[in-house]
Amino acid sequence: MDGISLELTSPRLIELDSEDSGESSRLRQQQPALFASYSDLRRLRYDYPLVLVEDDGGSARVQSLTDVVNALVRQVVPAGTQGKAFRWQLLYLEQTVRELVAAGTEGRLSRLWRKAEAELIKAADKADREALVKNLDLARETLETDGEVIDCDDKTPARFLVHAWNTIQAGKAKAFRKRIDGLILKLSDILKSDFTKSDKARSPEILKSAVGDTFDTDFDFDAMSRVLVEGSHADMLSPERRRRIEAVLMVLQSQRFYGPGRASGRWVEDVEPYTFVFDNCADAMDAFRDRLPQMVDFIEAVSIAELEIENKYRPELHDPFFQRLDESELTADDLALFPSYLVCLRDGESDAVETVRALEAIASGFPVKVLIQTDDILGDSSPEPPRASFAGGSARLAAMALGVNNAYVFQTASASLFRLQERVLKGMLYEGPALFSVYSGATKTVSGISPYLLSAAATESRTFPSFTYDPAAGPDWASRFDIRDNPQVESTWASHVLTYEDEALQRSSEAVAFTHIDFAICDSRFEKHWVPTSRSKWMDTMISASDLLAREGNGAASVVPYVWTIDGDGCLRRTVVDDRLLNSARRCAETWRSLQELGGIDNSHARCQLEAARAEWEQERQRLSGAAEVAEAVAAAPAIAESPVAAPAEETAPAPDSGVDAAEARAPDEPYIETARCTTCNECTQINNKMFVYNENKQAYIADPDAGSYRQIVEAAESCQVSIIHPGKPRNPDEPNLAELIERAEPFN
Amino acid sequence: MHAPRTECLLNLIDQEYAIRDYQSDIPPRWCTGCGDNAILTAIQRLCRDEQLPPEKTVFVSGIGCSSRLPHYMNAYGFHGLHGRAFPVAEGIKMRRPDLHVFVTTGDGDCCSIGAAHWIHAIRYNMDMTVLMHDNQIYGLTKMQASPTSPRGLRSNTTPRGAYLEPLNPLTVTLGVPNVSFVAQAADWIPETLFDIVSQAYRHKGFSFVRVLQRCPEFMPHRFDAFVQDPSLTRLLVHQKGLTLTPDTSRTYRNQEIHDPGDLNRAREIASLTEEVPVGILYRNSEVPCYEDLREGERPNTPGLIRTVLDEEFDKFTIWPEDQPDQPAAS
Ligand SMILES: Cc1ncc(C[n+]2csc(CCOP(=O)(O)OP(=O)(O)O)c2C)c(N)n1
Ligand code: SF4
Ligand code: SF4
Ligand SMILES: [Mg+2]
Repeated sequence: MDGISLELTSPRLIELDSEDSGESSRLRQQQPALFASYSDLRRLRYDYPLVLVEDDGGSARVQSLTDVVNALVRQVVPAGTQGKAFRWQLLYLEQTVRELVAAGTEGRLSRLWRKAEAELIKAADKADREALVKNLDLARETLETDGEVIDCDDKTPARFLVHAWNTIQAGKAKAFRKRIDGLILKLSDILKSDFTKSDKARSPEILKSAVGDTFDTDFDFDAMSRVLVEGSHADMLSPERRRRIEAVLMVLQSQRFYGPGRASGRWVEDVEPYTFVFDNCADAMDAFRDRLPQMVDFIEAVSIAELEIENKYRPELHDPFFQRLDESELTADDLALFPSYLVCLRDGESDAVETVRALEAIASGFPVKVLIQTDDILGDSSPEPPRASFAGGSARLAAMALGVNNAYVFQTASASLFRLQERVLKGMLYEGPALFSVYSGATKTVSGISPYLLSAAATESRTFPSFTYDPAAGPDWASRFDIRDNPQVESTWASHVLTYEDEALQRSSEAVAFTHIDFAICDSRFEKHWVPTSRSKWMDTMISASDLLAREGNGAASVVPYVWTIDGDGCLRRTVVDDRLLNSARRCAETWRSLQELGGIDNSHARCQLEAARAEWEQERQRLSGAAEVAEAVAAAPAIAESPVAAPAEETAPAPDSGVDAAEARAPDEPYIETARCTTCNECTQINNKMFVYNENKQAYIADPDAGSYRQIVEAAESCQVSIIHPGKPRNPDEPNLAELIERAEPFN
Repeated sequence: MHAPRTECLLNLIDQEYAIRDYQSDIPPRWCTGCGDNAILTAIQRLCRDEQLPPEKTVFVSGIGCSSRLPHYMNAYGFHGLHGRAFPVAEGIKMRRPDLHVFVTTGDGDCCSIGAAHWIHAIRYNMDMTVLMHDNQIYGLTKMQASPTSPRGLRSNTTPRGAYLEPLNPLTVTLGVPNVSFVAQAADWIPETLFDIVSQAYRHKGFSFVRVLQRCPEFMPHRFDAFVQDPSLTRLLVHQKGLTLTPDTSRTYRNQEIHDPGDLNRAREIASLTEEVPVGILYRNSEVPCYEDLREGERPNTPGLIRTVLDEEFDKFTIWPEDQPDQPAAS
């Protein structure tokens, strides 16, 4: 039960007399005792109503009205007693909006806020009005959040999910437009720059229009055109490439998956975008299949565009590839580019076969997001509750969908939707199929309990547990499956403290488990299966239903199981329940238990392995403590070099000269260059470009020492500013002036 | 950004660029022995190693010997106005963030006439690689003192010797907010020059590399001491900085372990006077790039900009025919 704690405030325990055996309607309206403090939700500040915040950037989140008002108070109301009146006024507005929405008024927050303001002003004293209006103006101007306001009712799951879907699509659309507009623009640039090279673009008229009116008399455009037209046209686009680019532009501009973007929009006014929201799976799948060829064309166009923009389209390589491309080759990445399909189903209203189709659609991997809204978990109402009255029909679908490995599955009740909205958004964002199973709490056979409270009770009682299966979260169940959104996940039933006033008018409290039975008795179809009893009828053999369920074997025919309830007057009773309810609760607990196992809580496999792992760990620990001793010994040894980077300069044996590594391969008197230090300054290559040649890094080496004279080598060594040419000894003993040259070479050898 | 499918298709093409593919038809017209040649080589090696498509690479320059570099590259180039390389490069990057943008500029071009643009370019931190060829002289116009000329230098504009202390491009750069990459290289140590240019290229942001460049024509012996005595060069090493070959390490033994994340130490190193620091002084990849901050929601075509502007202007336009009976102003 989110947003509210299940702490109860003193329902009266009163004696019931004989009339409680009669069928008074008062007695027929028993509710779980733990509901006592939530009898009027309009007076509580909790997460509903919600504001479906609008924003086209893809980051909109649903907000709770209470959070919106809290934020507003923080922004505009002065701290301390000074702001007391103002704070009260804003809280009054919140309360009024909550009441309006509960009474069925629909509309955006701004509109409801205005209505609430009017009521507040009407109720205010004349003298206070001026200050009040000033406060209200300030608050209204500061309040930025706006969007439809919704309460928790039978329409909530669909409205919430459609909003989440819209949010995700808005983000996708934005990224899509940006990307596609960019491609369109760059392709158009290619065509445009090609045009500027054409004779037409160099005609006197176009040249003149480019210069404008101010200076047009200063130029001779005919002459200019003649000169320009004579220039080369060698790098014009080939007709084939131009056609390809034009075809791609056509596909990109006329796409219908998203509304047109800004750069592309003006050329495609008559294109209607596709719809992606459906009320049945068959239509959604048909639409998807019909659009496959267009999707393939589009993906092909995007790839070709990207290649063309890089100037990397090679017809001989790529043509065959694109000829082969068909729908079977669409990858998850490709599909993620397009909007996903949203199908909203509602148990009882949608065709019964739709639930089967939904499973099929999900299993086919088709990018569909299915909402299955369940209004009734306990099943058929005619005339008896069904034998397996727990989680029948559509409510079981989510559990079945878990078998589809690559589908995102999320189940929860309306009351938790707001708190778990990131789970919803994640499922919408997930690139594969997703199933959302939501219990609305709007069960027709339950009266006097709000959908919010009933849906919270469904989760609380394990009748409709929350769970998430997220295939993107990791490779195994441990990372994918999560039941932590349920209260007190470790235990069979969630337990709460029930505080009440006892017969001596003293405060008394007791830990009470909230079981499936507590949920079931809210439903009028189960009336026959329970009887409320007054204190006078209580017996020693009475035992709380949860205690009985916890007993091995459950047996004991002699005991009388009960749950705590209150009637319309807030009187506390023990309501005795029959075997049907007990059996139902047992099945519910079993199902919960298997969810716990899947969720890794007290998992039976894990328990076995834990034993084994403990033993292994013990061994490992012993081994490690041995290793630690070794490590200590190593640390005590003299430190080696402090810094590995600076070390080589100090540590290596002093080298007689750089370039020694190469020396081994060289005859002692051969001329050479320390090539790695060459600065490409062209000095040596200009002296003799046969002898001195640049390598693949454009640095000089001696390619052929016999391609010139010893004199040239010595001169090069002298001109080389970084002194990396070493002339060695002369190779031709007949060269003139050798003695002088050898002397000049000396400093460089 | 490409779709994974396009990525695969691109892999089908085995095109391999060699250094000569980046060489234009025009042979460099720098003096023999000019350090600009070494810088050109380092850049061409970088293009080859990174396999930058020539049609996706653009070199922007101002005016000067150094600024002739774009002519010698087989890539897009923009030989701009004196001192205005940065605004041009910024415009290119803004409009075409997919291009690899390089700026080559001289000490005169960058620190004198272009100083205002330089300061703001650092602050904008747009993703581009800047090579400032610092020969401490105006080369192209035949020897006038530049802001980095040493005090006392006799030149055509300072026949009695330069009066002022030179400007230190490293400390200036390191003092500007949003600075994200500052390095110093020397054209005569090609191995580290190449390493620094590569790291500058790989840094996303405004990578400023000051290259000490020999001008044998007008500053013939300016750097001789450093070329001949390696101990005057302090190599900045770090696992996040330069990787030295054993040869370089043996020759240049004066080394300091300097973490490029340490801005204060970088400023101290930049202020050294007796030694020349070579290496990466500062790097911070967290600084946002202006083109990312200002990335539009939609592509900005000139046509689109005009449409939007017209829409705006129309809001304020008085259409006399709308209300023929009323005076325009009352
Ligand atoms: C607006 C303008 N002012 C002056 C000049 C003259 N001019 C051409 S190059 C140059 C200096 C270049 O020096 P530097 O940037 O250091 O380049 P280097 O030649 O040294 O590589 C000057 C002042 C010019 N071309 N334009
Ligand atoms: S002279 Fe020296 S630095 Fe210049 S190209 Fe030749 S070897 Fe290289
Ligand atoms: S003048 Fe100096 S900077 Fe210019 S090309 Fe010649 S050597 Fe290089
Ligand atoms: Mg210069």
